Amino acid sequence: MIGESGSGKSLTALSIMGLLAESLEPFGSVTVTGQDGRHTQVVGTAEGDLAAMRGRDVTMIFQEPMTALNPTMRVGAQVAEVMRIHRTVPDRHTAAARAVELLDKVGLPDPAEAAKAYPHQLSGGQRQRVVVAMALANDPALLICDEPTTALDVTVQALVLDLIVRGVEARNAGMLFITHDLAVVASVCERVLVMYGGRVVEAGDVQQVFTQPRHRYTRGLIGASDLDLTRPDGRLYTIQGSVPSAGALPHGCVFRNRCIHATVECESQPRWEGSGPEDGFACWHPVRVRDAQGVGGS
Amino acid sequence: MTVPAAPQAEGMPSSSPASAVPAVRLREVTRDYRRQRTSMFTPAPVVRALRGVSLDIAQGQRFGIVGESGCGKSTLLRIIAGLDQPTTGSVEIDGTDISRLPERRLGFLRERLQLVFQDPMGSLDPRMKVRDIIAEPLVSQGKRDNLPRVLELLEAVGLQSEAADRYPHQFSGGQRQRISIARALAPDPRILVADEPVSALDVSVRAQVLNLLDELVERLSLTLIFVSHDLSVIRHVCDSVAVMTRGEVVEVGATEQIYQQAEHAYTRALIAAAPRLRTALAGRTAADLAADTLAAKESR
Repeated sequence: MIGESGSGKSLTALSIMGLLAESLEPFGSVTVTGQDGRHTQVVGTAEGDLAAMRGRDVTMIFQEPMTALNPTMRVGAQVAEVMRIHRTVPDRHTAAARAVELLDKVGLPDPAEAAKAYPHQLSGGQRQRVVVAMALANDPALLICDEPTTALDVTVQALVLDLIVRGVEARNAGMLFITHDLAVVASVCERVLVMYGGRVVEAGDVQQVFTQPRHRYTRGLIGASDLDLTRPDGRLYTIQGSVPSAGALPHGCVFRNRCIHATVECESQPRWEGSGPEDGFACWHPVRVRDAQGVGGS
Repeated sequence: MTVPAAPQAEGMPSSSPASAVPAVRLREVTRDYRRQRTSMFTPAPVVRALRGVSLDIAQGQRFGIVGESGCGKSTLLRIIAGLDQPTTGSVEIDGTDISRLPERRLGFLRERLQLVFQDPMGSLDPRMKVRDIIAEPLVSQGKRDNLPRVLELLEAVGLQSEAADRYPHQFSGGQRQRISIARALAPDPRILVADEPVSALDVSVRAQVLNLLDELVERLSLTLIFVSHDLSVIRHVCDSVAVMTRGEVVEVGATEQIYQQAEHAYTRALIAAAPRLRTALAGRTAADLAADTLAAKESR
């Protein structure tokens, strides 16, 4: 899932977890199916049942590992706690042993010693590895990653991304990966949702969306991200203006006040064009194939 | 905006004014920080943030400094800007050694060198109007009646003149960074130092700010020192780059040269680790990124 700040990416993730603030009232439906085939209807379900789902069927990796970990608890105990709460292991000793095993799998050197460390004694990359171990401990059906590598150095990012993808593949789990970095999406995802102003404006296969974008925003975003692609005057392609705040979005097409192709038509909301929610776009003036300028375009 | 005459141009041989005196010259700069004492009986541990850095940045160059967190790039920048002093070594700006000068004698440096920081909200005073923020460097030089200059600067960075009477919180991140750039340009500096100026911005706004910097540096013939953790941003903006790790500059050269054939294992790891849209779409997965990064780190 890609989009800029304020596009609604994180709220979407939180609504899947049933973690929206009390002041927000969700409607519509979210169904989570666990590895054991058990369904949970997130909207309208009591907190107690959601707590059973969270950390077992759906887990999440956040951007900042230091705030995701408890600073007063040894990391091994934190990994073990996730399994004990959901009773996925028979007893304390098994949980502790399994935590060390998980820390080993995520590549912490000397996992038995690392399990005894407190978060502040580890580097940023190591902390994020601990968070990955916690997120994978109960073999979830869905792993949500909200900008998991944005706070990490680029060489550490490469290793952590690899770790996450391998963990997900080994469990045959689904992954929802949220980022503003298109290159990261292209490296780890198969399908992509493009969000803007709280709506999905385009969806599809990564290859197709990034090489032949249809929504004007998607195309603008790809152009602005690509530092290897410049205009004839040597400058970068840009999108005019900036992302409006949540209260200041235009009615109709949410992107129309920044779109150079906007017309009167755009004042009403564009229909979703496509085969279904998995593949399509909502734009009155989509990019036609002949003037498409995705990656590799002229 | 008027283009001022480059200060070194007068009385210099016209053939090579640029190469005569480098804008910045660092020689064997080290910087040690003392950590908090851990025992009453042993001396406080010392962290060496810079280990003998020597660099020449020519007048008019667009010079990038790239490295990961903790590599010393921010310390180096603070020393170049005269905000910190090196433990040993010398720092010359336009031929003047500033490494031992007291703060009260650094006035000339504040006119000649200005900074743009990463976080525009943290570097703009929330209680000041934009006109006062931009005029502040001028006021500190004792200049009065700065409004015409402020309006000129607002226009140069692509903001409306109404912006002058508003406060920083009324602007988006990209607009705030434009305000920071306007403030930096107010005293007509010759050297602009930008510390991760686009790292906190949205992708669509990042391109606007990079274009603005590009245009201003060209129009005003500035020397640009651009610090980033992102080699692809540096590659777009800078003609030369220094790669730093663990307090040392491990490689300096033309950006394209380094991008194509990096000499140092660390530089190669940095390039291998960065995901790129084109190569990712061509099938380079996270596993490939990780494997190439590790291979580059271990290569010699």
